Amino acid sequence: MNIIGPDYLVFGVDDLAASIEYLTAFGLKPVDVTDKGGLFEALDGSGIIVRHKSDPTLPPPLPTSNMLRQQVYGVRASEDLDAIEAELSKDRRVTRLADGSIETKDDHGFELKFQVTKRRELVMPAEKINAPGAPAQRKPNEIGVWEEMPAAPRMLSHVVLFVPDIEVATNFYCGRLGFVITDVLKGAGPFLRPKANDDHHTLFFIRTPDYMKGCEHLAFHMGGPTELMVAGTRFVKKGYQSFWGPGRHKFGSNWFWYFNSPLGCHFEYDADMDKHDDEWIAREAPMGAEASQIVLFEMREKWAPGGPPPGAKP
Amino acid sequence: MASAQLLCRVEDIAEGEARGFGPLDGYRRKIVVLRRNGMLHAWLDACPHYPGGTPMAWKTDAYLNGEKTHLACHSHGALFDMESGECVLGPCLGQQLTRIALAISDEGEIFVAAAQEEKRA
Ligand code: FES
Ligand SMILES: [Fe+2]
Repeated sequence: MNIIGPDYLVFGVDDLAASIEYLTAFGLKPVDVTDKGGLFEALDGSGIIVRHKSDPTLPPPLPTSNMLRQQVYGVRASEDLDAIEAELSKDRRVTRLADGSIETKDDHGFELKFQVTKRRELVMPAEKINAPGAPAQRKPNEIGVWEEMPAAPRMLSHVVLFVPDIEVATNFYCGRLGFVITDVLKGAGPFLRPKANDDHHTLFFIRTPDYMKGCEHLAFHMGGPTELMVAGTRFVKKGYQSFWGPGRHKFGSNWFWYFNSPLGCHFEYDADMDKHDDEWIAREAPMGAEASQIVLFEMREKWAPGGPPPGAKP
Repeated sequence: MASAQLLCRVEDIAEGEARGFGPLDGYRRKIVVLRRNGMLHAWLDACPHYPGGTPMAWKTDAYLNGEKTHLACHSHGALFDMESGECVLGPCLGQQLTRIALAISDEGEIFVAAAQEEKRA
């Protein structure tokens, strides 16, 4: 079962105009978006599908007030869809759609769809750094930052779910779909990566009461920590509300910056996440401020020391 | 007693609307002022879901839910009664926002008292 990761996350919102404004300002590109909503893409074609909560084309809502309607997973090939269908139809209804994709639910009732991935292969350089002792990554006269530098989300990275039962969730995604646990925050839950993705995590669970079941946050990969901070700074300047960050997580090593949103969950820019293979042995740490980050900053308005020379006219 | 701080004028807050001010001296967070059924109410912009309280808007002054029936936390969608500050849906169900006392001058200016010692959520 070569699952790559989430191609799309689907939301049914109460304020569609606000959500459309927000997703665009976040840096995603509207594709065929109308006043009924549509798809907002990262550079690789993964992204967010948003519609009004009354839209009949949406999958049914969770029994909570959470606005997440469906996780759409990309797989490598149609044989992977056959394998998932064979496995999951042992104990639940799996629906085959006309385009070959399949739909079902996980053991907590989250709506799932699997499709041959629609992600486009990205060929772009990572952020380049120069450091003593290592070959320069930027050539002479190649500058690192400039005011209008691009800082667009490249790829949907991960989704974090509030679930009432970590064991049930883990057994489903690992036992039935072949996800692997990379690390565990005790008191919260495990980080998971699917077979066909070497990112530290595309999925993370947080244990919560039943009435909170839903999406806690989702994240998009940026080209590096500088792009993350540039994108976040621009977002704050436009009036959007920072929630946590910028900082760098310990597990996964990814830089993070979380924002509030009108979609009922946080949106995160992330960058420079660890890669893993099957040799990796999962670590454990108790959930808490120390375990969750190596550094944390809070944005402040731009400032510089100095000023006009003493005695100068204002 | 420390001096009162001016927020805005009464006509700046229309019926069914909310605006954020600050953070003012002595407060960690902004103060949300709203008008509901003609009355002004003010709440600390600090959702009680997480310790310490976190900011609730998704954008400057965007504090209400889509239907504009409740004050909303745009972290995880908690809804609060605009007049009582009680969480009626979401992760902090039954908990309260921190009310900020307002004083309105004869000229229609809205003031808050400077915080003595801000209560923790
Ligand atoms: S922080 Fe407000 S609902 Fe979670
Ligand atoms: Fe994250």
